Amino acid sequence: MSSEKLLIKGPPLPPLGREFTVVGRSLNRRDGVEKVTGRAMYSGDIKLANMLYAKILRCPHPRARIKKIDASRAEALPGVKAVLTKENTKGWRTYWYMTPQIALPECLTYEGQEVAAVAAEDITIAQKALELIDVEYEVFPPMLNAEKTLNSPRPLYVADEEYPGSEVFDRKEYVIKRGDIKKGFDASHIIVEDTYSTQAQYHGTIQTRACIASWDGQDLTVWDATQGVWNSRDALAFSFGLNPENVRVIVKYLGGGFGSKASAQRISYYAAKLSMVTGRPVRLERTRREEFINHPHRWDCKTYLKIGAKKDGTLAAIYQRTIVNVGAAGLNGNYYPVMAIWHTSNLYACSNVYLEQIGAYTNLQLTGPQRGPLNMPAIFFLESHMDRLAEELDIDPLELRLKNYAAYGSNYAWEATRPQTAILDQERKIPYSSKHLDQCMDLVTKAIGWERRKSLKDAGQSLKKRGIGMASFVVFQGVGGPPYAANADVEMTSEGAINLFIGVVDIGAGQQTIFTMIAAEELGVKADEIITVWGDTKGTRYAPSCHASRCTAEMGPAVLQAAAEARQKLFEIAAPLLGARAEDLQSKNGDIYVKSDPSRSIPLKTVCSRIDPDAPIRGRGSRAPNPDGPMFATFGAQAVELEVDGETGEVTILRVAAAHEFGRAINPKLCISQIYGGIEFGMGYALSEEGIYDPLTGKMLNNNLHQYRMPTSLDIPHIDAFIVEGEDPYFAYSAKGAGENTNTPTPAAIRNAIYNALGIWFNDLPITPDKIIKAIQERKKRS
Amino acid sequence: MTAENDLPQRTKHVELIVNGKRVQGDIDSRMTLAEFLREELGLMGTKVGCNRGECGSCTVILDGNPVYSCSVLAVEATGREVLTIEGLTPEGKLDPLQEAFIEHDALQCGYCTPGMIMSVKALLDRKPHPTEGEIKRATDGNLCRCGAYPNIIKATLAASEKLIR
Repeated sequence: MSSEKLLIKGPPLPPLGREFTVVGRSLNRRDGVEKVTGRAMYSGDIKLANMLYAKILRCPHPRARIKKIDASRAEALPGVKAVLTKENTKGWRTYWYMTPQIALPECLTYEGQEVAAVAAEDITIAQKALELIDVEYEVFPPMLNAEKTLNSPRPLYVADEEYPGSEVFDRKEYVIKRGDIKKGFDASHIIVEDTYSTQAQYHGTIQTRACIASWDGQDLTVWDATQGVWNSRDALAFSFGLNPENVRVIVKYLGGGFGSKASAQRISYYAAKLSMVTGRPVRLERTRREEFINHPHRWDCKTYLKIGAKKDGTLAAIYQRTIVNVGAAGLNGNYYPVMAIWHTSNLYACSNVYLEQIGAYTNLQLTGPQRGPLNMPAIFFLESHMDRLAEELDIDPLELRLKNYAAYGSNYAWEATRPQTAILDQERKIPYSSKHLDQCMDLVTKAIGWERRKSLKDAGQSLKKRGIGMASFVVFQGVGGPPYAANADVEMTSEGAINLFIGVVDIGAGQQTIFTMIAAEELGVKADEIITVWGDTKGTRYAPSCHASRCTAEMGPAVLQAAAEARQKLFEIAAPLLGARAEDLQSKNGDIYVKSDPSRSIPLKTVCSRIDPDAPIRGRGSRAPNPDGPMFATFGAQAVELEVDGETGEVTILRVAAAHEFGRAINPKLCISQIYGGIEFGMGYALSEEGIYDPLTGKMLNNNLHQYRMPTSLDIPHIDAFIVEGEDPYFAYSAKGAGENTNTPTPAAIRNAIYNALGIWFNDLPITPDKIIKAIQERKKRS
Repeated sequence: MTAENDLPQRTKHVELIVNGKRVQGDIDSRMTLAEFLREELGLMGTKVGCNRGECGSCTVILDGNPVYSCSVLAVEATGREVLTIEGLTPEGKLDPLQEAFIEHDALQCGYCTPGMIMSVKALLDRKPHPTEGEIKRATDGNLCRCGAYPNIIKATLAASEKLIR
C-alpha cells in the first residue's frame, strides 16, 4: 500500500521555465455548481435498494459497567433485522485511529459510548427497538478532572482484563528541553508566571455523520463521512479481518470535517457489521446530540507558564507545564506527544527551556484532532504570556515579539535514554525552509492601526471600551509517516482525455480544485480540461487523509510529479512532430512548443491522438515524509480590534487583520476562505464555545447547537486577509498547508485586545460575558 | 411505558405544491416537511443538520417565508407552496444568486449552502437591495461552520446588484 517511498530532496523537479498560467489564479471551486444546486450527494443522501436503517444505543453514563443486557424484546419487534450487543460480538474490534478497541465492551468509559446497534426496516422501528433493549448498569462516579486523575492509578476502567496494560494509560509525559532554565531564571531581570486554561471545543460540522455499508460476498463498500478514504479502508479491513483490497470507501462530498472525521468513523464499523449480519445495505446516521457526545472533541488543557527576561526584553528562560485532558480516547488513541509545548520551544529564540506536557485520562468523552489541535491552546498560552511580559517590561508587545524573533528552528532529537524527552536545539541553527513571520506581523499591525492602541485605552468614560491586540504563531508543517504515503496518477488517452486520479477527500477546502490546478499547470492545459477522480479508493492509489493541513503539502508534489511524468512522455511523441528534442519542449495553454522558438507549436490534443489507443500515457507521482534538513513550518499573525460592553460583558469583534504564510497560494480565493474559516473557529474558542458537563454525573449539558454557541453571521467582523508568499522548493510550487492553522492565533489576539480595552487579563477560555462582568466587579471592589 | 405495537398505523393525506409542481402522499402524520421532501420526494438538496431548528441547513421557502423544514410538519404544509433549492434551477440554468455564491466562494463544504441560499433568496425576494446588516440578520439562523460568512455577504450584494432597482 505504501511501497513507493520517493523522498523528494531539494526542488522536486526543474523549475517550470515559464510564467504560471493556472497556479496563483482565483478559479472557482470545481464542485461549486453541485453544491449550490443541492445536487452534491453527501453520504446521508445516498439510498440503496433494499436498505435497512440502523440506530445505536448509547451509554447514558460516563463510567459504568453493563451488569446485564437483554435484547430479546427488541429482536422480537416486527421489522427488526439484527441487534448487536456485547453478547453476540465477542472478539470483534473497532479501531480508534489505528488502535484496536472492543467494539461493544462491558465496561464503558464515556457518555455516549456504544452499547448496542440495531438494524430495522425503517428508522422508526430501529428507534423503537432501542427502547426495548434492557440494560442494567453498575454506575461509578465519573472522573472528569485531569489534574485529579493524574495521580490515581486506575482512573478509568473497571474491569482491567478487557484492557490489558490499562495501568499504563493513565499518564503520559513528554518533555522538551534545552540549556539550563535555572541559570536562565537566575540571570533574568524579570520573571512572569501565570496559569491558563482552555476548554473542550466541538467541531460542529453541519453534516451529522452518516454512512451506508454494503457487502457483496467478501467485498465491503462504505459510503462514509471521513476525511481520508484510504486510512478508513485500512481500519475497516482490520476490524473485519479483510484483505484491504476487499474494502472500498467512497466520499464524494463531506459536510465539514475540521479533524473530527480524520479516520474511519465509529458508525461505519457498526453499519458494516449490521450489513454483514443481515446481508442487506445498512444506513446509519447520527443525530446532533450523538455528534456531541460520541465525538473526539478538542482536549481541554491547564497550563502553568513561567518566563524570565532581561531588561531589554530578551527571553532568558521558559518553563511550561501543561496537563492535557485526554478524555476516554484511551490507549494510544490520538494524542500528540509534544504539541502543547512545541510552539513554546520554537516561536521565540530562547536558550533555556524546559517544557512538560502531561496527558491524563478521564471519563470526559473521546478527544482527538480538531482544526489546529493543540496549536491553538499552545499559542494562546504563549502569546497571552508574551503580552503580559511586555506589559511588565513596559515594552510594546509587537516590539517584544520582534526582539525575540527566532531566525532558526529547532528539530527534534529524541534522547536515547529517555525517549519521551526531546532536545530542540536552536543553537544548531537549522533554517526554516521559508519564514516571513516578521512580514506577517508588520502587515496585520499596520492594517489594524497598531499605533492607536494607547489612545484607545485612554478613551473616555464610556462603558464601552475598545481594544487592539495581536498574536503570532508557528506551526509544524507536514508529517507523512507511513502508511500515509501520497500517490497520484495522471492518464492521457489517444482521444485526448486527461484524467487525474487522487485518493483524497475534498473536505471543503477545495482539494479537488487545487490538485487539478497543479496538474493543469504542469501539463500546460486549462484546469477544466482535466477530469479528476477523487474521494474513492477504487481507481486511485494510497493518499493521505485531509487533516493536519497536510494534504496540499503532501499530495501537491505527488500530483506535480505525476503530471510532469505524463507530460514528458507526451513530449517524446511530440518531439519528432516538431523536429526537436523532447527536453527542448514546453507546454502552455494547450499547446506544445519549442522553448527557443514558440512559433513552432502543435496543439497538445493533436499529439494525444498519436498515443497508442491500447496504452494510454500514465504518469505516476509519490511523496513520502518530509526529508531531514530544514524545518518545515507555516507562520502567521492576526490583529484584532474589538469593543467590550462593561455593562453586559459582551465582546464585539470589530475587525480582524490576518496575514498567513503557507508558501504559495495555488488558489488565493480558496486560501482566503480558509482564513475566514479559521477566524470563525478561533472566535468561537475565544468567546463562546465550551463543552459544559454536570460536575456530579459527568454528562454533557449543552449537547445541541442552541446551547453550544458557535459564531453566527452576526458575530463575524470585517476581515482583512493577507497571504504572504514565500518560495519553498520542497513543496509543489511552494504550496504548503493553509487549512487548519488559520485559527491558531485568533484566541490570543482577542484576549490581548480585551486586556487593551479593560486592563484585565483573562487566562481562562472562553472569555464569556459572565467572566468579564465578574472581573470588572472584583476590580471595583478592590479599588 | 409504551406498548410494543404502538408504531404508527395511521397515515394522513397531504397535498401541496413543491417547486411549482403539485405533489401528494399518504404519510405518517408525524413526518416533518424536511423528511417529506427528502424521503418521499427524493429532494436531497434540503439538508438536515440538527433536526431541531438550530442550524438552518434545512431552510426552504414556504409561501414566501424562509422556514426550518425540520420544524414544520408535512401536514402543516398541505395546501401551501414550497420552494426548495432544486426549485431554483427548473431548467437547469443557475439563479444569479447561485452564480454569485460560486463566484465569491460563499461556500466550502457546501452542506449549509442550500439552506443558506434559500434564506438569502427569501431576503432578496422581500428586499432586493439589502444592506450588509440586513443580510447578516437574514442569515443568522443559518450556521456555516466553514465560516464562509464574509463571502456570503459579498455574494448576496453581488446578486442584489444584478436585480433591477
